[in-house]
Amino acid sequence: MQILAEAEELPKTTNIKTQLVALWTSAVSALILLIAFIAFPGFWPPMSPRLTADEVASFYRDHTTWIRFSMVTFNLCGIMLLPFFCVVVVQMKRMASQSQAFAYCYLSAVVSGATLFALSDVFFAAAAFRPGRDADLVLLLNDLGWIVFIAPVGMILAQNLMLALAVYLDKGPNPVFPQWVGHLSLLTLFAMLPSACAAVMTSGPLAWDGALSFWLRNGAFATFTVVMFFVVRGAIHRQAVVEGVAR
Amino acid sequence: MSATVLSASGGEPTDAVRADPASKRDLWIVFWIFPIFFSLFGVIFVLLARVIPPPRPDVTTDQKVQWFAAHATTIQIGFAAVCVVFGGAAIANGYVAYQMKRMSSGSTFAYAYMGSMAVGTLPGLLLVALCFLAATFRPREPRITALLYDLGMLSFNGSLGCFATGYLAFAIAILYDKNQIFPKWLAYVSIWQIVTEVIATQMWVSSAGPYSWNGSIAFWLAVIVFGFWLNCQGIFLKFATDRQPAGTRPVD
Amino acid sequence: MTNTEPTAIASGPPASISSGRQSGVHLPGDGHMWFMVLGDLVIFGAYFIVYIVQRSMAPAAYLQAQQHLNITIGVLNTLVLVTSSWFVAQSVQATAAGQHERAIRLLYGGGACGLLFIAIKACEWSMKITQGYTTSNEFFMFYYMLTGVHVLHVALGVLILGIVVRELRNPRRQRLSVVEQGATYWHMVDLLWLVIFGLLYVVR
Repeated sequence: MQILAEAEELPKTTNIKTQLVALWTSAVSALILLIAFIAFPGFWPPMSPRLTADEVASFYRDHTTWIRFSMVTFNLCGIMLLPFFCVVVVQMKRMASQSQAFAYCYLSAVVSGATLFALSDVFFAAAAFRPGRDADLVLLLNDLGWIVFIAPVGMILAQNLMLALAVYLDKGPNPVFPQWVGHLSLLTLFAMLPSACAAVMTSGPLAWDGALSFWLRNGAFATFTVVMFFVVRGAIHRQAVVEGVAR
Repeated sequence: MSATVLSASGGEPTDAVRADPASKRDLWIVFWIFPIFFSLFGVIFVLLARVIPPPRPDVTTDQKVQWFAAHATTIQIGFAAVCVVFGGAAIANGYVAYQMKRMSSGSTFAYAYMGSMAVGTLPGLLLVALCFLAATFRPREPRITALLYDLGMLSFNGSLGCFATGYLAFAIAILYDKNQIFPKWLAYVSIWQIVTEVIATQMWVSSAGPYSWNGSIAFWLAVIVFGFWLNCQGIFLKFATDRQPAGTRPVD
Repeated sequence: MTNTEPTAIASGPPASISSGRQSGVHLPGDGHMWFMVLGDLVIFGAYFIVYIVQRSMAPAAYLQAQQHLNITIGVLNTLVLVTSSWFVAQSVQATAAGQHERAIRLLYGGGACGLLFIAIKACEWSMKITQGYTTSNEFFMFYYMLTGVHVLHVALGVLILGIVVRELRNPRRQRLSVVEQGATYWHMVDLLWLVIFGLLYVVR
């Protein structure tokens, strides 16, 4: 996107620019998060809920460094995706045929959801903090970390529901997002929904290491976020053109 | 119909022409999620998870373990369901914050309400679900299961500051609002909410008697006032949605 | 002079509540304030009932704990608060008679008594705490709770009296109904204290 020379100094250009900054800083954060995700030994393969306390404790003892590295990174960069979702809120507020109620509910859900990610990170980090801790306590922390990471999908579901409804009701000549974004949101919603069972199942595809609760859930969320990056970029561009800021 | 009119909309005479209902569809969708979510909340927390009314604090470790064993199935079903539906809280609270933005008193307290409720959802609603799911996930040492029992209940019933802040924001916004989005007396009920919550903080101190987490004062009185307040908020949210002119949005 | 514009304390009542006014019966103050007062009394009433029930289950323990409350301080607080109520009631009459300056002075008097009440309460609390009576004792838990919530009401009442003073200073306003609302609230605070005083200090 090329900002027009004559629009460089206009106040309304700063709105476009900050959205772009939010977009790109979130992209960088997402990349760093991906590195942290790959670095956490507990994801390759995902730790089984059926490991005994001793096995879990020795896992934390044997991989302390990489666990700590990944958890510190998650801690720093996890919430840094928030600006990206805030750009989505800003774009939702631009939808002409709506009262903006969806946008505010979306924001509420994003904030609440972010607190969960932060919490699961704390549990994993605490489990790795004292290698000599009693095994049954390390098991507890590990359980809590996994359950909090995988199972409470409700906020993401609420976000995606709000976005899908907003897109579907964004009637008029200039929709902010294309209609298929609504379909994708709902698809992601249904892909992530079953992983709530990870708080209950200890084996099978619904357990926190299973094909549905781990791979499908996280894959769907990552895919959705990456796709939305491009969608939002396009929306910002269209906004800039409409406002005479870019060509 | 152009809907890009930015108006500081709010109260208008009761004989205002009703706009095309289809154009308020987004408001109605969001509004109905409020009662649907809280009904689900009631069913889950009362009938399935059995934390409303709460299990007693003044029991032994073994009794706590037995309590989990007796209710494990419904706890797991109920709280796994919570993991799916608790986003309804964000939508319900977000919609209240949205209506608060239509008040003449501005957006400050709308954002304060949204912020405090969004933050409070974790300790005040979800943490008990996570602790109890962890407790029923596998057999553990009794002392650890008992720890999760206390942790869950203390956070669920005892996370009061976030909500007290939210109710205060709600009350102040209403008292200064000239657009009559919500009735003034709802502000007073919100203040009673705050008072009962302030008193209920003593449940982190008492393990038995009226000030414990299942006590007549710290729990029952507080939950009765809460139930009354929540129903009032829901009813007046509907009236506010009724009266909002179609195609309007609050000041940005 | 009826109140028709919304104020910071309470707005003009909706038609359903002000019907009494329209039919010629003057309900002092405002429907919203009465709702607040009555609701507050109901909630405090519930607390009092719970206290009485709990006390009846352990009368000896409560009696023993009660010995440590200084009834003189209680009487002093009661006198201070009753005096303040007298000031506030007088100020309502002064406003009705158009004597706004006198009304403001009386309200200052009422507010000053309110602050004095809070100060005495603070002293009493610090004395009790240094003597070692904390919330670990059930009677004292009730003591701190009831007097604590009440003192918050007193503080709010002082704030409300301040708002009333500001109303009276503004020559374009000086509405009687606002003064009445403030007085209604203040008298409720006084009434609550009388019950608390009776339950905690006197009934032994």
